[in-house]
Amino acid sequence: MTQRTGPTPPPEEVKSCCAAAYSSDAATAILGGHYHPGGTALTRRLADRLALRAGERVLDVAAGPGTTAFLLADEYGASVDGVDLGAATVAKARASAEATGTCDSVRFHLGDAERLPFDDAGFDVLVCECAFCTFPDKATAAREFARVPRPGGRVGITDITLQPERLDGRLRGLTGWIACLADARPVDDYRELLADAGLHARVVERHDGALATMIDQIEARLRAFRIAHVDVGTALELTALARDAVARGDAGYVLLTADKPAP
Amino acid sequence: MDREEVFWEYTKSICPVCKVVVDAQVNIRSVDGRGKVYLRKRCRRHGEFEALVYGDARAYLDSARFNKPGTIPLAFQTEVAEGCPSDCGLCPEHKQHACLGIIEVNTACNLDCPICFADSGHQDDGYAITLEQCERMLDTYVAVESEPEVVMFSGGEPTIHRNILDFVDAARARPIRSVVLNTNGIRLAADRGFARALADRDVTVYLQFDGFDERTHRQIRGADLRERKRQALDACAEAGLTVMLAAAIERGLNDHEVGEIIRFGIGHPAVRGAVLQPVTHAGRHVEFDPLRRLTNSDVIELVADQLPDWFRASDFFPVPCCFPTCRSVTYVITDGEDVVPIPRLIDLDDYLDYVTNRVVPDPEIRGALEKLWSASAFPGTPATDAQLERAACGIDAPQVVRDLAEGAFMIVVQDFQDPYTLNVKQLMKCCVEEITPDGRLIPFCAYNSVGYREQVRQQMSGVPVADVVPNATPLRPLLRDSPYGSRISADAEDSEAPGNGGGDGRRRIAPDATNVGRRVR
Ligand SMILES: C[S@@+](CC[C@H](N)C(=O)[O-])C[C@H]1O[C@@H](n2cnc3c(N)ncnc32)[C@H](O)[C@@H]1O
Ligand code: SF4
Ligand code: SF4
Ligand code: SF4
Ligand SMILES: [Zn+2]
Repeated sequence: MTQRTGPTPPPEEVKSCCAAAYSSDAATAILGGHYHPGGTALTRRLADRLALRAGERVLDVAAGPGTTAFLLADEYGASVDGVDLGAATVAKARASAEATGTCDSVRFHLGDAERLPFDDAGFDVLVCECAFCTFPDKATAAREFARVPRPGGRVGITDITLQPERLDGRLRGLTGWIACLADARPVDDYRELLADAGLHARVVERHDGALATMIDQIEARLRAFRIAHVDVGTALELTALARDAVARGDAGYVLLTADKPAP
Repeated sequence: MDREEVFWEYTKSICPVCKVVVDAQVNIRSVDGRGKVYLRKRCRRHGEFEALVYGDARAYLDSARFNKPGTIPLAFQTEVAEGCPSDCGLCPEHKQHACLGIIEVNTACNLDCPICFADSGHQDDGYAITLEQCERMLDTYVAVESEPEVVMFSGGEPTIHRNILDFVDAARARPIRSVVLNTNGIRLAADRGFARALADRDVTVYLQFDGFDERTHRQIRGADLRERKRQALDACAEAGLTVMLAAAIERGLNDHEVGEIIRFGIGHPAVRGAVLQPVTHAGRHVEFDPLRRLTNSDVIELVADQLPDWFRASDFFPVPCCFPTCRSVTYVITDGEDVVPIPRLIDLDDYLDYVTNRVVPDPEIRGALEKLWSASAFPGTPATDAQLERAACGIDAPQVVRDLAEGAFMIVVQDFQDPYTLNVKQLMKCCVEEITPDGRLIPFCAYNSVGYREQVRQQMSGVPVADVVPNATPLRPLLRDSPYGSRISADAEDSEAPGNGGGDGRRRIAPDATNVGRRVR
């Protein structure tokens, strides 16, 4: 397995800072409603690849403001639990559920992907979009992903892929981490992490264009802020580096599903 | 053997010579390695006609997803009798209400442009509406729309009508949101008081503006108007008027200038947008090849080619309220140096409801940015002011939205249909209507192509007006000059059709020659 190179921030700091950053209004402003490449279109594709059916119980790990949870409940008739480490994010998601009267089908919980606050085998499906790459202890998170679905359940992940040794040093700091890049791995690493936890890969699809589009969108939003005289610091240089990495094929986006073996 | 084209759909159009309604087909052919969209039709008397309608087949097919449901107007003015496009309008079959109502106040003009779909000029046998007629037309519009979005005064040259300010006042006295004046700018350049009078009435100016080369001016306008345009724009800036640049683009004449027109507009304090219109081959125009005419996708590609640092073709998207192949648009936010197209900021599909045919970019930009930057990220949840007010990381969302919306710039690409390209599918969902003195609302492209413009002029002036025929290369042998510089059929049977000049001046519009309702014998 590829090892991360260079200095890394301490895990707890990464996790809490990441959660806080994503719950800030600045993140909302820059990322809009979609916190992952591919937007709702890729979420639907993931649900379709998982053959999600009405009435199934879904856990959305790192659910953010709940866009995916609401979509799966609304369009697929799933019963969804979302878990996120950001208290403000969870509060916001709960408020949306209340405002839209969807509390019956969608619930939000505060919790850590590496210690999911749920019993074993309570879900049919687990999804995690563009967040696995940010978890410092991926092996533990993968074991949690294997623990909470029922035997015969399915796991679906979309995430950044990266050749870490080719990552520009400037993308490796905390900002890069939060932007999902710094601890992303090659596709094979993700497969192996899941396999080691007992989950067998079924579908692996590349969606690198979705990442390029999202970087474009973030860059456009930063330029919009700059036009409105908001100081965006070095963020535009980071987006340029990220775009180069995608163009070179060093960074990309993958959709991956895996099965938990039936007994 | 395989056919060289893919048959896409069947529709109706008109014969560009005698204007009878004929069956038509839309086909996709590969030309120079690219799929292009053509409309083909046949008249029993005048043979076959074909025109390019979209230069990029993929974009044409993609645009279908932008076709949103229309809204029913409060009233219809005509009945369904002959079928589209002979029943305008609006007849109960029409699929959309009017986003924009046009009132042509006169046929006279202080120019005689070689390119003018209105066939206007220094003519004394046309007509001018009275204040009373204008008020009736406005009342018709209000009755149909309740609170109309936009009324546009046009002509002819509306600024030479002595009642033009009275007309604006009459519009302002009614619940109409925006008033637009379409002008060549000659009066604005000479009469500072006029710019102020328009500013006092909060009028948006659509300024005819086709480019910067002397040749462009001479060939499209018949005169070098560069200095006048500059003076007109200065007057508008000084008076605080909002201006949209309206450019008629003809292949080989000024298609190299679209980028400069946009760059100039973005840099000019009075200008908030540019409307790029491939020359409509209705009325008066220079000779053209219908198979090589400019279409929306061609103009969009010209913009992307000429301003590669700012635009790519994907920054433009079809306007969903009319038929999506009629009009494409983009909005940008800019500080004069950097230019960011809004479609790059957002997932367009989430925001289409905000896009209608507006006059200035503000409402859309505000709507889209507020939705994007409202604290709630769940679509459909109304963001409260408190949420909006909460500022984090030094970002004051409402202020940012205000600043950005203020500097927003709109680019519209609009290919009006002509007697060659007319497709009733587009017409039936048209949202740009001519308001006629006799109280009809006629889709603009039907007005220009099908014979309504000639009908109304004849009715209003009492002078017979023959149906205008496009000055297309393949039709030239069939044509002769009209008194106004346009071309008409050389065959008296077409140009003096039954009803011409007779009776109440109303005549039969576009009689049916399709095979609908006929049985095989
Ligand atoms: C017919 S004019 C009437 C108002 C005014 N006289 C003027 O020229 O602005 C309206 C607008 O249509 C444009 N226009 C005229 N003929 C055109 C054509 N054949 N194709 C496209 N635009 C045209 C004019 O340049 C002008 O911007
Ligand atoms: S264009 Fe509209 S109003 Fe005119 S005939 Fe067709 S459906 Fe009726
Ligand atoms: S295009 Fe406008 S300015 Fe030119 S002749 Fe026609 S009405 Fe007059
Ligand atoms: S005026 Fe012509 S181009 Fe515009 S919406 Fe109507 S039919 Fe389409
Ligand atoms: Zn004919």
